[in-house]
Amino acid sequence: MLAGRAGLRLNTHYLSKFLAARFLGYLLFAAVAWELGALVSLPPAPRMLLFGVIHVALAGVLLWYAYTAGHICAQLCSGSELVSIGVTRKRGMSGAAVLGFLTGLSLCPPFVAAGVRAAELGSVAAALLFFAVFFIGTSVWFVPFVGLGCVTRNEGVITVARMAMVLIALYYAYLGFAMLLGRKVYGY
Amino acid sequence: MATKAQILKANKAAPRTIGRSLLLTSPIALWSLLMFANPQRQSNRSLQIASVITSVFMIALFFKMMRTGSTYRWRRWFFVGLGILFPVGFIHNVMVMRGTMGIPIEEMIAGRTPFCYLPIPLLILPAAFTKTLVFPGSILPGGGMSGAGMAAMAGLWLAITLVIGKGWCSYACFFGGIEEGMAAVPTRAKLRKIDPRWRYGPWAVLLAMVLLSLALFEPAYCMWLCPFKAVSEYVAARNTVGMVQNGIFVVLFAGLVIALPLLTKKRTQCAFFCPFGAFQSIFNKTSVFDVKIDRTRCSPCVLCKTACPTMSLTDESIARGETLMSCMKCGACVDACPKDAAVWHIKGTEVGIKPERARLMFLYGAWAMAIVFGGSIIAEGLATILHIFV
Amino acid sequence: MRAKFGYTAAGATVFAAVLAPFLLYGMFTKGFAALGLHVDEMYSGGPKVRTVQTASYSIDIHRPVYPHMLQTENPFVQLDWKPVSALPPHVSDVVDVDGDGHPDIRVSFDVPKDPKAPLRVNVEALNPRYDAMRNVGKEKFSRLIVRVDDAILVRVPLAQP
Repeated sequence: MLAGRAGLRLNTHYLSKFLAARFLGYLLFAAVAWELGALVSLPPAPRMLLFGVIHVALAGVLLWYAYTAGHICAQLCSGSELVSIGVTRKRGMSGAAVLGFLTGLSLCPPFVAAGVRAAELGSVAAALLFFAVFFIGTSVWFVPFVGLGCVTRNEGVITVARMAMVLIALYYAYLGFAMLLGRKVYGY
Repeated sequence: MATKAQILKANKAAPRTIGRSLLLTSPIALWSLLMFANPQRQSNRSLQIASVITSVFMIALFFKMMRTGSTYRWRRWFFVGLGILFPVGFIHNVMVMRGTMGIPIEEMIAGRTPFCYLPIPLLILPAAFTKTLVFPGSILPGGGMSGAGMAAMAGLWLAITLVIGKGWCSYACFFGGIEEGMAAVPTRAKLRKIDPRWRYGPWAVLLAMVLLSLALFEPAYCMWLCPFKAVSEYVAARNTVGMVQNGIFVVLFAGLVIALPLLTKKRTQCAFFCPFGAFQSIFNKTSVFDVKIDRTRCSPCVLCKTACPTMSLTDESIARGETLMSCMKCGACVDACPKDAAVWHIKGTEVGIKPERARLMFLYGAWAMAIVFGGSIIAEGLATILHIFV
Repeated sequence: MRAKFGYTAAGATVFAAVLAPFLLYGMFTKGFAALGLHVDEMYSGGPKVRTVQTASYSIDIHRPVYPHMLQTENPFVQLDWKPVSALPPHVSDVVDVDGDGHPDIRVSFDVPKDPKAPLRVNVEALNPRYDAMRNVGKEKFSRLIVRVDDAILVRVPLAQP
C-alpha cells in the first residue's frame, strides 16, 4: 500500500484509513471472542485445564510462526490487485479500509493468543479494552513506515519480531503448563 | 614475521610526555578531589580511606589514558572494579538492613525496594497511560533500602545519558564490568563464530518486556529475566512463580555473564540480551560523540571488528565508515586499529581530522561522570572491605 | 559551519558534565518528582480514606484497589492496624469497610511478640462484596497479612463478579 511514492500526506491518509478499519476488525473479534468465552460455562478446574491446553497450543503455534517467519519471501509489495488504492472510484469501498478491516480479522497466531486472553476476561468491556491495547501495541510499528515510503521488511525488524515472539511464546507456555499442573499463577 | 603487538606498536603514535599528560589530567584531578572531598564522605574512617584510594585510582587511570593514548585498557580497570565492588557494597547493605538478599513482600509494600536504572524503559508506557509507576519503590527517599528514591535515579540517569549517550554502558553501568572482567580472562576466544543476528536480541527483549510490563503492570524484566539479581537482590520466592523466576535468573547469570564471556571474549549479556542497552542505543543518535572509520586509512584488516566486545562493527558498517547503533564507546576498536583508521569523532566534523581532540572532549565528560557515579560506588564497596580492618 | 556546530555541542556536553552533579541532577530529580506520578497501588495499597478509632489502636481503611490492564491480581481493600504495640495478643474486629453503617467483615489474627514471627489472618465476609480468607499469610499482593513498621496490614480481596 505504501510502496507507491504517494508522499507523506497521502500515505498518512491511507494509513489512517487502514488502521481505523483494522481497529474495527479488532473490536469485532474481541466481542465475538468474549461471547464465546462466556458460553464456555465449565466449572473452574476443567476450565483451567482447557485454558492451559489452549495456552500451550498457542505457545507452540507462536514458536512455529517465529521459526517459519524467516523463510517468508520479502517480496510482498508486488501481487495481484485485489483492491486498488489511490485510484478514484465512483462506487466501492476505500481499498485501504478494506485491507485494514481484513487484517483486523486475520487470525495470525499472536492475534488468536490475544483472543484467548480476551475470552477469559470478566466482561466484554475488559475484552474490548484488551484488544484496544493490543491494537495500539501492534499498530505502532506501522507508523514509521509512512515516512519511509515502502513497507520493506529488513532483516533486523524480522529478527527482532521473531525473537520477541519466542519470548512471549515461552511466557504463554509457562502459563499453560502452570494451569495444567493446577498451580496458582498470580491471580488464576 | 612481526607479531600483532609489534605491528600495533609500530603504527601507533608516540606516547605523550609526562608533563603534557599531567597537564591534561589536572582538570580530572581537581574534579576528583572536589567530588571525593565531600564532607558527607568523612562520616567514617574506612570511607575516608576508600575515598582517597578511589580518587587516586581514577586520576591514575586517566593519566595513563593521556600518556599512552589508549582508552579501552584503562577504562576496563575502572569498569571491572565497579562491577566487582558494587555487589560488595550493595549486598553488604542489604544484609545489614534486611538480613537477606531476598526482598520480602513487606519491603515492596513499604516502597523500600531499591530502584536501579534497568527498568526505566519498562515504566514509560504504564506511566504514560495511567501516571502509575509499576515498581515497588518510593519516588522520594522512603527509608530502608529505597536509597535516594526513584526520582533521584531517574534524574541521574538522564543527566549522565545527556552527556555520554550509550557510553553509559561503558562508564556508568555497575553490572557490565562483571562480564567485561570475565571476557578479559582468557587469552583467546574458544567460540569465535557467533551468528550476527544475535545482536538483535536486546531489541527483542526490550519489545517483549515493554509489552509484558504494560499488560501485566509489573516490571517484567526485573521479575523474570534480569540476571544481575544474582549479585544484588531478588524477590523472595513465596510460591511456584517465585521459584521459577529465581531459577531463570541464576541460569541467565551463569550463562550470559560468566560462561559465555569466558568462551567468546565478548560482553554477551550486553550485546545479546540487555534491553536497557537497546534503549540506550537510541541516545547514540542524540549524542554528539561517536566512533568512525576513516576509510582512507582502513586496510581493512577487521581487527576492530574482532576487538569490539559487543559486535558493533560489521563488514558493511566498516565499509560505510561507521559503527552500529549499539556502539558503547568503549574505545576497543580505536585502540586495536593498527592504522589509526578507527577514530573518535564529533558529529559534524570531518572524520580523521584531530581525532585526539574528539577523544579528549569525550573522555573529560565521560570520566567526570564515571567519577561522580561509578567512583562513589567503588568507594562504598572499598569502604565495606576496609571496615573489616579499620 | 557544521564543524563549528559540532564542536559547540561537544563543548556544551563537557559543560553539562560539570553541571550534572550540581544542577542537572537536582533539576531532573525535582522534575521527575513533579510529574505527578505515583507508585502502583497494587504495591502501595491505595490512599487512606477513613480511620476507625478503638480504645487503644486505630484501623486505617484504604480506598479499594483495582488491577490495571491484565494485572493478574484481584481487586482488594487494605486495612492497617496501628500501633502494633497497642494491639492485644488476639485481635478480632468487625469492620464497616465502606462506611455505610453496616458491618462488612470480621478480621481475626494473633499478634505475636516476636516481630519477625509469621502472621496468619482469618476474614469472615459479612458482606458478599468481600472474599473470606482462612488462615492466610502472605499469598500475594491482593491477599495477605504483613507487618510493616509499626502497623499490621491486611488486604482483603473483593469478590469477583
